[in-house]
Amino acid sequence: MQPSRKNRFSRYMRARLANRLSAYYFLLSILALCFVLGLVIFFIGKTAMLTFKHISLADFFLSFNWTPEEDHYGAAAIIINTLSLTALTLIMAVPIAVGLAILIAEIAPKWIKNMMRPILDLLVGVPSIVYGYLGLTVLIPFLRRLSGENLGDGLLAAALVLALMVLPTICRISDEAISMVPKKYREAAYALGSTRLQVMLRVVIPAAGRGIIAAIIMGMTRAIGETMAVVMVIGNTAQLAKTLFTPASVLTSNIVMQISNVEFDSTWNYALHMMAFLLLAISFILILFIRYLGRKGSDKA
Amino acid sequence: MKIFKKVSLLAAASLVAVTTLVGSVSAASNLSGKITVNGSTALLPLTLQAAKEFQKLNPKVKIAASGKGSVTGPQAVKKGIADIGACDWDASVDVPGFKAFDGQVANKVAVIPFATIVNKNVKVGNLTTEQLKGIYSGKITNWKEVGGDNADIVVITRAFGSGTRVNYQAKALAGGDIVKKDKNYKEVGSSGDMKTAVATTPNAIGYIDLVYVNSDVKAVSFNGVEPTTENVINGSYKIWAYGYYMTKGQPTGATKAFIDYVQSQKFQQGSLKKLKFIPISAMK
Repeated sequence: MQPSRKNRFSRYMRARLANRLSAYYFLLSILALCFVLGLVIFFIGKTAMLTFKHISLADFFLSFNWTPEEDHYGAAAIIINTLSLTALTLIMAVPIAVGLAILIAEIAPKWIKNMMRPILDLLVGVPSIVYGYLGLTVLIPFLRRLSGENLGDGLLAAALVLALMVLPTICRISDEAISMVPKKYREAAYALGSTRLQVMLRVVIPAAGRGIIAAIIMGMTRAIGETMAVVMVIGNTAQLAKTLFTPASVLTSNIVMQISNVEFDSTWNYALHMMAFLLLAISFILILFIRYLGRKGSDKA
Repeated sequence: MKIFKKVSLLAAASLVAVTTLVGSVSAASNLSGKITVNGSTALLPLTLQAAKEFQKLNPKVKIAASGKGSVTGPQAVKKGIADIGACDWDASVDVPGFKAFDGQVANKVAVIPFATIVNKNVKVGNLTTEQLKGIYSGKITNWKEVGGDNADIVVITRAFGSGTRVNYQAKALAGGDIVKKDKNYKEVGSSGDMKTAVATTPNAIGYIDLVYVNSDVKAVSFNGVEPTTENVINGSYKIWAYGYYMTKGQPTGATKAFIDYVQSQKFQQGSLKKLKFIPISAMK
């Protein structure tokens, strides 16, 4: 049917209107989201800053003595534990995850790919408390037997649980990045006489490098923010983890263990908010870093 | 099909009968209002059960109950968020670590017994106040010093501010310290975690509400007295505490009626006992 002139015009208007409205709708959604995020940052920050009315910045960041019941609010040990736990997790998870991603994307036959990808996606969705409970009931008794320690709780147990949790995330995103590398790169490399290993190590991985780094950072943010699983296996003692089996505390576990037992208007409460604010700041910096990497990547391509 | 029809008809008929019955009962009570209860998780099962029964008697009263931790009870009352703050200790007086909440009245509602528990591999069956003090202050670190095997003692404790910990420290340790140790020391977040941790960690010692104790762990005697409900009532077992409903000033209206109901002989001797708490009237 040939649409009449008038009809076509109204269709055009309708489409324009719909575009406009959806544009406004999306803008409104974004503004609402920014507003909520801003409020969260503002209120946590505001409460957190009250900490420094009672104690000095140096006390909070440099002292190792976290005994709030005796008015000592030194978070240094807990911050260091958080960073070392994250580092330990990545050291364990990244080689395996990236290796697995290369296997799935490059080497494995199709039926293995089709099996592995849904399994990994499923693992991402397992609630962290399940990992924590498995850690508590299976991993810790095992570590206890292996090491001869009495408790087994500590950085190693937490890092193992976290590594298992972040592994599917890192693996799947890296897998996507590797699969996105254009076929022509590989073909060119083969044409120059490269072996399969050379193609993978010298061409595919460097080309997918930014994607893999973004995957690692995604895993890292999950590892830093993870709470429930960590609480169950880390031992929750506010002290510096000198060995892999020293019961310790990280920012998330310390907050969740103490927040419900603390009076509202106390320095202790403010100090816990300061810890939350620190976590927020760390995540924020990491996300900015991802954005920065992403932009650089798109400039090149 | 016929049977199904009959059954559903019967069900509908009984539903009507029950509603009219409840309606006629409630006609007797004109009490109305809204009561918010917040605080101790240990007292939460008791509050929920009491709320269910009380609302049946007074359908115009709405009761909302939640549990988060003992200290949140009196705090919520102080801030006006809750009418009743459930707390494992008397928050109207100072206790170690927590200042008194001024202007609040503590209403006793139950007796909560606590027990020292150890992993099943531990041979020790009795501990004295002095021995417990030694263990928790870090002076005694090996089970052989208190008559057990030659093995390190693994101390598992609740986080500071837990009602169980406040009471245990006051009654079992006679006010003694619980000190953080470098190794063989662990903090857990809840009674459930405590039981799992002690049950799965060899040579572990911990403490918990008596109602949580089952065959997974071994409850040890305190100064030679077994931790049983009978021993709490006859006064020989000392590790117990009253559970309190904190209110801002003397309770009034529906709040008062609810607290009265919880304190009534009917509830204390009935549902409260079934939940394995001890009636307050049992303590002299």
